[in-house]
Amino acid sequence: MAMKSKLNIVISGVGGQGIVTLARIIGEAAVKNDVKVLIAETHGLSQRGGSVEVHVRLGNVYAPLVPKGEADVLLSMELIETARNIDYLNTNGLVISSDVILRPPIPGVKIPKKDEIIKEFEKNNIRYYLVPTKELAEKIGNYQSENMILLGSLYKYSEINKFIDMDSIKDSIKTMRNPEINLKAFELGSNL
Amino acid sequence: MNRLNSILKKPNSKVLLMGNEAIARGFIEAGGGFAAAYPGTPSTEIVETLAEVASYLGIHVEWSVNEKVALESAYGASISNVRALAAMKHVGLNVAADALASIAYTGVRAGLVIVSAEDPSMWSSQNEQDNRYYGMLAYVPVIDPSDPQEAKDLTKLAFELSEKLSHPILMLPTTRVSHTRSNVILGNITPPRTKGSFIKENNRFGLVPANSRNLRDKLINKWSIIKDSFEEFEPYNRIENKEKDKIAIISSGSSYQYAREVNEEVGNYRLIKISTPYPLPKKFILKGLEDVKKVLVVEELEPVVENQLKEIINEEGLSVKVDGKSYVGYAGEMTLERARKAIREFLGLPINQTAYKKLDIKLPLRPPSFCPGCPHRGTFYALKRAVNSLMLKPIYSGDIGCYSLGINSPYDEQDIILEMGGSIGVANGLAHVSENQVPIAIIGDSTFYHAGIPGLINAVYNKSPILVLVLDNRTTAMTGEQPDPSSGITATGEETKIIDIAKVAEGIGIEKVIVFDPFNIKESTNMLKEALSYVVKERKPAVAIAKKACALNAVRIANKIHIEIPIYQVLENKCTACGICYNAFACPAIFVKDDKKAWIEPSLCTGCGVCAETCPYDAIKPIKVIDKRWDSVWQ
Ligand code: SF4
Ligand code: SF4
Repeated sequence: MAMKSKLNIVISGVGGQGIVTLARIIGEAAVKNDVKVLIAETHGLSQRGGSVEVHVRLGNVYAPLVPKGEADVLLSMELIETARNIDYLNTNGLVISSDVILRPPIPGVKIPKKDEIIKEFEKNNIRYYLVPTKELAEKIGNYQSENMILLGSLYKYSEINKFIDMDSIKDSIKTMRNPEINLKAFELGSNL
Repeated sequence: MNRLNSILKKPNSKVLLMGNEAIARGFIEAGGGFAAAYPGTPSTEIVETLAEVASYLGIHVEWSVNEKVALESAYGASISNVRALAAMKHVGLNVAADALASIAYTGVRAGLVIVSAEDPSMWSSQNEQDNRYYGMLAYVPVIDPSDPQEAKDLTKLAFELSEKLSHPILMLPTTRVSHTRSNVILGNITPPRTKGSFIKENNRFGLVPANSRNLRDKLINKWSIIKDSFEEFEPYNRIENKEKDKIAIISSGSSYQYAREVNEEVGNYRLIKISTPYPLPKKFILKGLEDVKKVLVVEELEPVVENQLKEIINEEGLSVKVDGKSYVGYAGEMTLERARKAIREFLGLPINQTAYKKLDIKLPLRPPSFCPGCPHRGTFYALKRAVNSLMLKPIYSGDIGCYSLGINSPYDEQDIILEMGGSIGVANGLAHVSENQVPIAIIGDSTFYHAGIPGLINAVYNKSPILVLVLDNRTTAMTGEQPDPSSGITATGEETKIIDIAKVAEGIGIEKVIVFDPFNIKESTNMLKEALSYVVKERKPAVAIAKKACALNAVRIANKIHIEIPIYQVLENKCTACGICYNAFACPAIFVKDDKKAWIEPSLCTGCGVCAETCPYDAIKPIKVIDKRWDSVWQ
């Protein structure tokens, strides 16, 4: 079977959720596998609790940004941000998202309910996996490991495993500040 | 993960580096001994990375007070024979331009590379100016890398070239190079030269008119040598698919990566890749244009390559049709969609619209906001109360920093935001012409040192009735908490003097200087009222300083010395659902429940306790007893 020559992943969430770290772990694992990787981040004001997107491209790629309609995977740490970035998905794209909803700190803001968003996924024939990252993170006693849980789910459900082997990801996680907890989180996410 | 590890790895190691880290590595490979910068997105990580390895390498690395000082300092090192780098964001080069425009006259000794990170699409900037024009204006050659690997390689090459030509070089990575991480293969490290000596040569370094006239003539001659040295620039300038004729695409900088990907999709036309957009190497370009009838220039922002190309074609009397901006457009950064549309249109190919999904659901915006526990929130809250209770008509003259976010609701206290330090100068003008309005300049500590002080001197000298409110959170917060003259430490973590803003103001001659704690809303409001009344009555400038650490730093310190963060909670039975804490004060850790009562998310609360002060019903309380050392982490 011919291997897919590239994989486009858009990662979304809210500033402070550890999205840049998540992408960096993928990147380091890709380098270990000698796979070309491009990770485009937009820093600056976006760190202060705003919407954040990071684009990750693997394989035969040159341009750092994923165009709308061309992401193979939309990986997301927050459900409103998932909905916001759905236009990145290609027609056969896959959503892997946390089921967490965070209210933007705007006075009097109205936010959609989880069910409404899911209903829209169904209506549009979007393939999706929802991961209860917060619940799982509480289970292992660390709020800050939601990103590694989601990375585990990415590894399980997407074709990233055709580009990068699991040991390289684990090796990269081992260089993080809390390696044991983060490894546990990754494994939890990849064994759902 | 540790930056130190990847940056200092052995030659030939394959590592993941962000473009800015790659530039730092390029500097190390070139044996650079001096690096200075003022932080600014997307350039900050260059010197931040070097600061982390400075003591290991024995090199001098500093956060300068502004970009002008950074460049002047780097120049000082270079003419003392130490390779030096000055880094800044694109608009920082405006501040350093005065130095830049003269440095080309004197030339340099050891390599001097100025990195100015460009921000097309303005991800975190006030404009998207194209700094390649500075190269033209100042007779400084421009290099623009297309990815992190090139960013590293070209930094090293730029130092060698700069030294060979005794001339500064301007390197212009964009956000998509500076902030893209990719595979980088490391090269050899040259041991740094950190000490040199300045050999006097005042007919060269003393720019009095007689010398300058001389040097100007020399510069014009030197320029042709510089141009020639860009002719051989393989592989960074190269011709791809040389066997193809008739049609060519020329692309420079980060745009090249987009053009290349699209070129593969449409059938691999001849692609001329450029890393030296100014001066455009003529002979190389002419080689690339052999047997070509029409050419498309794919570049971001202004038609810098396009115009030079047209000039070359004109000079040579060639019949080659040049297109560029008419297909590519001016505004914003390159994207695959944009490159695809431009190239396909140019080639006469159909443009198929990519199908994408759209949900039928209304989504709230999520603009960035002050962090939970940010002292600016208290300052803006108190300022508004003070202004309202005196029934003043304020003009909020804002500035560049996290506090620019005060432009958003519910604060709405940034009416004007122009450039670094602009708040005070603009307030000066407002003060002398506006009737019955009170200009309030709002500026952060780092921005105050950067370019605010001359404006303040002007206000005293020219008797401008303004309130200058300095939000002193002891750091350059927006770019990621780099230390500044208010922090008491240097870039490399050494202790240093704190430059006291109140004393600066007093020294300048401000007669009303107040310092307040923005976590104490009542006291802050009263003191701001006092300062504002003084401005209105005395018609003289006053300075108010809000002093409290950046919440991110405070939390970091608390974690480091194991102080538990005193999380607050809302007492269900006392909360009347008035909404003051979440609507008027608007801490992002406070959420509204369905019954409109407030609820604090414990994982977000940083324990500042200010919401408790704003609640008129005494419904917000800390969960546990507060650690005695808690206040000290916010100093
Ligand atoms: S104490 Fe109140 S204002 Fe401060 S961070 Fe916590 S919820 Fe926000
Ligand atoms: S300010 Fe006090 S009473 Fe009003 S909503 Fe907040 S906690 Fe409830």
